[in-house]
Amino acid sequence: MSILQTIKDKVRSRSIHVSYVDLGSCNGCDIEVLACLAPRYDIEQYGIYVHNNPREADVLIVIGAYTPGWQEKLTPLWEKIPDPKAAIAVGNCPISGCCFNRRGAYIDPPVSKHIPVAAEVPGCPPRPTEILAAILSVRDAVFANWEGRQR
Amino acid sequence: MAASIIWYLREFFRPGWLKKFLFAKTAPLTTPPYFRDFPEPTGKPCQHALFCMMVCPAPGAIDVVMEEDGWRPRIHKGHCIRCGLCVEACPNGVLRSGRILETRKAEGTAFIVTFRISIDPDLCTGCGNCATSCPVNKQLDPQIGAGGHSSNDEVIMRVLDGDVHVLHEEKCTGCKTCEVSCPTRAIQIARILEGTQQPQKGGGQ
Amino acid sequence: MKHTVDVNIPLGPVHPCFKEPARVKCETKGERIIAAEVELGYMKKGIERIMKGRPWQEVMFLAERVCGICSVIHNMVFIEAIEQVSGIAVPPRAAYLRVVANELDRMQSHLLANFSYCYTIEHETLGMYLLDLREKVMDVIERLTGARVTCAYIIPGGVRFDIGAQDEAFLRESLARIEDDLTRYTGMFESGPMIALRSRGIGILTKEAAMQAHAVGPTARASGISVDRRTEHPTYRQLGFEPVVRTECDNYARIMVRFGEVFQSIRLIRACLDNLPEGVIRGGGTCTAGETRYSGEAPRGELTYIIRTDDYGRVIDIQIQTPSIMNIEACCHVMIIGVDSVADVTSTFVSADPCIACTER
Repeated sequence: MSILQTIKDKVRSRSIHVSYVDLGSCNGCDIEVLACLAPRYDIEQYGIYVHNNPREADVLIVIGAYTPGWQEKLTPLWEKIPDPKAAIAVGNCPISGCCFNRRGAYIDPPVSKHIPVAAEVPGCPPRPTEILAAILSVRDAVFANWEGRQR
Repeated sequence: MAASIIWYLREFFRPGWLKKFLFAKTAPLTTPPYFRDFPEPTGKPCQHALFCMMVCPAPGAIDVVMEEDGWRPRIHKGHCIRCGLCVEACPNGVLRSGRILETRKAEGTAFIVTFRISIDPDLCTGCGNCATSCPVNKQLDPQIGAGGHSSNDEVIMRVLDGDVHVLHEEKCTGCKTCEVSCPTRAIQIARILEGTQQPQKGGGQ
Repeated sequence: MKHTVDVNIPLGPVHPCFKEPARVKCETKGERIIAAEVELGYMKKGIERIMKGRPWQEVMFLAERVCGICSVIHNMVFIEAIEQVSGIAVPPRAAYLRVVANELDRMQSHLLANFSYCYTIEHETLGMYLLDLREKVMDVIERLTGARVTCAYIIPGGVRFDIGAQDEAFLRESLARIEDDLTRYTGMFESGPMIALRSRGIGILTKEAAMQAHAVGPTARASGISVDRRTEHPTYRQLGFEPVVRTECDNYARIMVRFGEVFQSIRLIRACLDNLPEGVIRGGGTCTAGETRYSGEAPRGELTYIIRTDDYGRVIDIQIQTPSIMNIEACCHVMIIGVDSVADVTSTFVSADPCIACTER
């Protein structure tokens, strides 16, 4: 691994831009992601910036159980994110459909059928600390030596 | 001008400031003890009452499985919503989550689960699938056949003259196997949950 | 009729200032908005459909998950509807504890709504102050119920957990601190000149228009309509409840109504704790057959459950009327029209506190 790569890894791991997309959840996980912004948890001290722009994001936080309204929208959204990228499924909904996964519901979980998911945070909703830990754990696995692995 | 630039440079290259700027982190946040986390086993033996599975509101969140030294409840993360109903419903205190077990003992609160069987006579074809598939029936009368006929009076339900008759509703464990195997959805199990409280004498809050 | 449209600007579904997916299509003439339309349909899960044929212990959790932000009130209204059907009496201590949980939930919901408004008008400092304050409220909720969001606190015939002496002291101490801080932040919002520029006189919803659009909750109360379902709730009546009403009709009034309601919630919780009766927290009782319509006041407005149950207490028919849909309609047909810039569209939309999850369910 070259020196340039080491520098790249270092810089990338301290500046992660997060975008979140709600595929039909109950809002509970939504506000827990939002609570990560609060001074108590302070997601920005780790260099993680939350803004909802997929074009400048590294990590996509997926919330919700994939409703039919997203069928033609989620994959283009995922493709808009520049490489290297990772998706994190937050909450039970994208993992299993949670309480909604019953006969007759308009949902199609799990989300990993539609986009590759790098990490899952179980819980309904998970605590902000758990979400934070998941983002931090993904950062090393996904962004380390990206160019080297591409070759 | 130059003095102020030097002042700034000195200020920002102070080791203390640099260290704080680069490495300052808030203390790691701990999960408070009263948070209802995923249920954990307390170590008490599971008596296979299955109340946890019967009250669980999330599909596929809890299973009671046979391990080498007995029955064990197993929580599936990703399905469990951490509601804590299983902890409150378990009569033996096998599971633990947050303060629920302690408050349950202190306040004398409990959930009582009862099961009621309802059969729609218009839909029932008398095929006997329910009586055959019922695991309690199978234990009580191993001879029970494909038609659901049984000469044993101890079974929960049996087919007699082309109709299903419910004999012992109180033996039902609420597993809903009959409901799944019924071709016309004529049989339905109601899981009735009641929250009760018997305050301890003397304490009582 | 032909009308001139300069640019058609769609906002969303993934947009920096919307927490949830909704699409606002604005027709603009210069910077002025002449028409707006909200496109929904990204969150439809069919909750009412999966609720059918289930007992209360499953429907309760689905009802909570209609809206994660105001979960306690969904829980409370559904359970009180079931209790009305089955004639289950609630012990007085449990009734007061329900009000405590409900008001705590209202506080955090209003603080979150005001945070998103401050964040949208780019006053991040005040927004972060409010979000930090919300964490204090969340701590109290967690202490009382054991979970931060979707806490499943209210069950037929009572509540799940009692409040101990230590918890009560913690709750009182937190309330004092929250009131202290909130007074300061409300002062900041009231007197901030930049906030006034972005809020006062923007997104006008007159009383007549609010009546016509059937606006509910803080949106209606900021337009001078004194409507609040809590005035009809027996426990709130005992506590002496009066709705907070303002007459400015703009974004500023809507935010100030929410601040006022947080102060009111603090007063209500204090009154509850002072008058907390002794006794049991669960009365028991099973659910039976019946049909009813029951309303309660969610943080966003009037919430109605129409339910029908069978002999064993299973829900066989349920309809939910959530508050946000009326406010969203009022917002896109009246409030947004005529605002001076596209930047004000998002802040006006957020000031109505839209909750897409409970709109679509």
